[in-house]
Amino acid sequence: MGRYIVKRVAVGLVQLIGLTVAVFFLIRLLPADPASRLVGMNPSREAYEQARHQLGLDQPLLTQLGAYLGLSSSGPGLLEGDFGTSWVTSSPVGSEIATYLPVTLELVTISFLIAFLVSVPIGMVGALNPGGRSDKAVFVYGLFAGSQPEFWWGLLFVYVFFFALGWAPAPLGSLSPMTSPPPSVTGFLTIDSLLAGQPDVFVEALQHLVLPVATLVFVLSGPIVKMVRQNMARALRADFVLYANCAGLPPARVARYALRAAMAPSMTLIGILYGFMLGGAVLVENVFSLPGIGQYAVRAVLAYDYPAIQGVVLVITALSLVVYLGIDLIHAAIDPRIVH
Amino acid sequence: MRSFTSLLCAMTVASAVAGPLHAETAKTILFLAEDVPSGLDLDGASASITTSQTGMVNIMEPLFGYATKGVNASGITVPDFSKFEGRLVESWAFDPKTLIWTLHLRHGVKGCTGNEFTAKDVVYTYERGKSVSGSTPVGWFLANVASVKGFTADVFKNPAARTLSPDEVKAVDDYTVTIAQSEPNALFLPVLTIFGTYIFDATLMKAHATDKDPWAHDFANNVSPASFGPYCVERWEKNQEIIFKANPNYWRGKPAIDRVIMRRVPQSSNRMVILRTGQAQLTQNLTPREFDSLRGAPGLKVEGVEGNESLFIIMNFKIKPFDNIKLRQAIAYAIPTEQIIKTGYFGQAKPWHSIVPSIYPGYAETPTQYPYDTAKAKATLADAGYPDGKGLEAFHDSFQLTYPAEKESTVGPIVNIIQSALRQVGIPATLNPIPLAQFGDRTLVKRDLPFALNDYDKAIGVDAGYTLQLFLVSANKGGIANESDYSNAYIDETWPKARVETDPAKRNALLADMQEQAMKDVALLPIVEFKTQYALSDKLTGLSWQSDSSERFFDLKLQ
Repeated sequence: MGRYIVKRVAVGLVQLIGLTVAVFFLIRLLPADPASRLVGMNPSREAYEQARHQLGLDQPLLTQLGAYLGLSSSGPGLLEGDFGTSWVTSSPVGSEIATYLPVTLELVTISFLIAFLVSVPIGMVGALNPGGRSDKAVFVYGLFAGSQPEFWWGLLFVYVFFFALGWAPAPLGSLSPMTSPPPSVTGFLTIDSLLAGQPDVFVEALQHLVLPVATLVFVLSGPIVKMVRQNMARALRADFVLYANCAGLPPARVARYALRAAMAPSMTLIGILYGFMLGGAVLVENVFSLPGIGQYAVRAVLAYDYPAIQGVVLVITALSLVVYLGIDLIHAAIDPRIVH
Repeated sequence: MRSFTSLLCAMTVASAVAGPLHAETAKTILFLAEDVPSGLDLDGASASITTSQTGMVNIMEPLFGYATKGVNASGITVPDFSKFEGRLVESWAFDPKTLIWTLHLRHGVKGCTGNEFTAKDVVYTYERGKSVSGSTPVGWFLANVASVKGFTADVFKNPAARTLSPDEVKAVDDYTVTIAQSEPNALFLPVLTIFGTYIFDATLMKAHATDKDPWAHDFANNVSPASFGPYCVERWEKNQEIIFKANPNYWRGKPAIDRVIMRRVPQSSNRMVILRTGQAQLTQNLTPREFDSLRGAPGLKVEGVEGNESLFIIMNFKIKPFDNIKLRQAIAYAIPTEQIIKTGYFGQAKPWHSIVPSIYPGYAETPTQYPYDTAKAKATLADAGYPDGKGLEAFHDSFQLTYPAEKESTVGPIVNIIQSALRQVGIPATLNPIPLAQFGDRTLVKRDLPFALNDYDKAIGVDAGYTLQLFLVSANKGGIANESDYSNAYIDETWPKARVETDPAKRNALLADMQEQAMKDVALLPIVEFKTQYALSDKLTGLSWQSDSSERFFDLKLQ
């Protein structure tokens, strides 16, 4: 297992290096000039050239790459852990990602945990009673949840639960405007509020997470339920289940065996979805005014903020690789053949 | 399914326990904005972003401002552009022989840090501007437009030229400053009201200078350059919120609102529903439809001002077939202005009869106009050599009407109206939304968009000459926002004369001629001037408007 992990990490590093170089060149093919956005109200030739110089865009591409990586004398670069400075906010990209990423991780992780806990039993029930009422209900729910994009559900939830019923807090971000956030330790509001001994802030942070999490759970549960149901149904038709039933094992134990077999492909889907949602949660972040990494990424792209784009892509990719590695390890634990 | 329902119920019950959250407490308002300041440096990367400007104008102070004209029918306080008043300047004098302005500064003005405002702050501000050390040299640009001596393009080529000389800007004593002009230029006072010329607290800025960043741009962009304005920065989380607290030392008196929480709510529909619940007191940049739906809503009011926002079409003179004046005129006659006002702006706009905002000094309604007339449009199109549009199919790419994709919710209905109207007379227009940054690059720098709709760019310097210089003078002669790549010898020759003309009547006559020339040529096709609108609590009064459209929190009062 140890060699397997080392091998996977090594492959992941090679992927990251390749991606770094590819992204560096690809974003420079974007159909606009970042210097022109900067000069904005003063796009004189002199100001434009000044902006290009400030951004280092007047240097040859390889010199720019060297500076980005930290191989030139212009200052620290990526190899020293410096992602550069945002061209929009003039803040270090590393610290901005450290601020925005936990918001998304908190949202997506809680959503996936709940979606997982909800979807697996629902999928199992559907598979254990094929054609039954619960199975039909699961089918209808799957169709319903997946029929509209998440931002539509988010806006609907805001309208119903905040505006019409007044149950949920306003979609104003992670906390009420009147609340001071706890000192940032981990970046996760729920954890930092507890570390700071502020249970009221913890509760408020949870309240503000309710609707965005509900939106994501509502949308994510559809495919997970379908996947679990199909895999479970397939596992229940397998020979080892037939044998277990014939051997007179209790139905609960047989179902557990079948679930283990069904979980491997389902975990793959969940892993892929999780990686996707790190950047894909942007619509939900937008609806609920959450300052997450997705919003940061979109803003970076729209403003042609090269250092921010590069930083976000690298961090999301690295995280996705870690998630995929984790999924593979779980896969390997479920099915030892994977390691070999 | 049962589990999921239970979960949803549990979640909603948990929320119900919290109850609605009330942001409004005494002397605090919640202002919902599409974004919060990305930076607060006048010469920084975010200086052209309007939400960043909102931060700047509330924490810093200009030398000059406009006197108040009164309150318009909608309830907004509007400025009198014919009358300047001193802000940090108490009185001033101009010597036309030496072209020197002598500014007598206000005594006893204290900033957020308690530092007292003196002449050294003014000199520092101009030194910093001339250093062109920021990523966007806005301070230099504005001083250049105002013909402040020494602020020439030479600073970009010659590092030695970046040092401010006493014969340019000089502190005579602690409360007297002289600023010299290189030529007589009536733009001096209008330009010194613009946010990019607001005054820094030199002591504060120097305390945060480093060897690598001697003009403290990082500090201004990431902490706060709050100087002598009505508000200071209490907390600032980029991408989320900024909280302004009243500057107790403000020279016009402590602001009536103690704290202003500016919160980012990117979805305009969410800004609207939050405002309707009473949890927020002010918002802007809703779509015309959303503003319209809020009219008459209980506890709310929608206020608007006919300011300087407008909708116009760009037809690139260097790209065929828009080099054909008859074609441009045919398009002008084909635009259904009234339908755009009714459907696109819900009546909150009016036809635009020149290329300068109609409230600006020097505006002239031009004799040449292009009222909506499809028969005339068809006839002019035939005169252009394209009867019923025959022959235009060869220019498919040129007729892509380009607009910023981020503006879809506002201009979406309008571009569809224009497309239908043009097709009706035989012009094969298609629609081409592109990202705003790309739109800016292609209109302002590359100037390679053949056909575009713009409701975004405006001249915030309140003067017809300032507007005409930016939008109509040839790009190589200072027309830095000449989006249609228009070049006309008469305009290029007339502007330098108008710029130095000291007789206002003669200057206005020259500016009127320039406007007429541009309208004849359809240099830009003006369509409508639309109202700048705000939605606010009916308990909030005193809203004022300035040409940058940024709210001045000092003017607000909460009942």
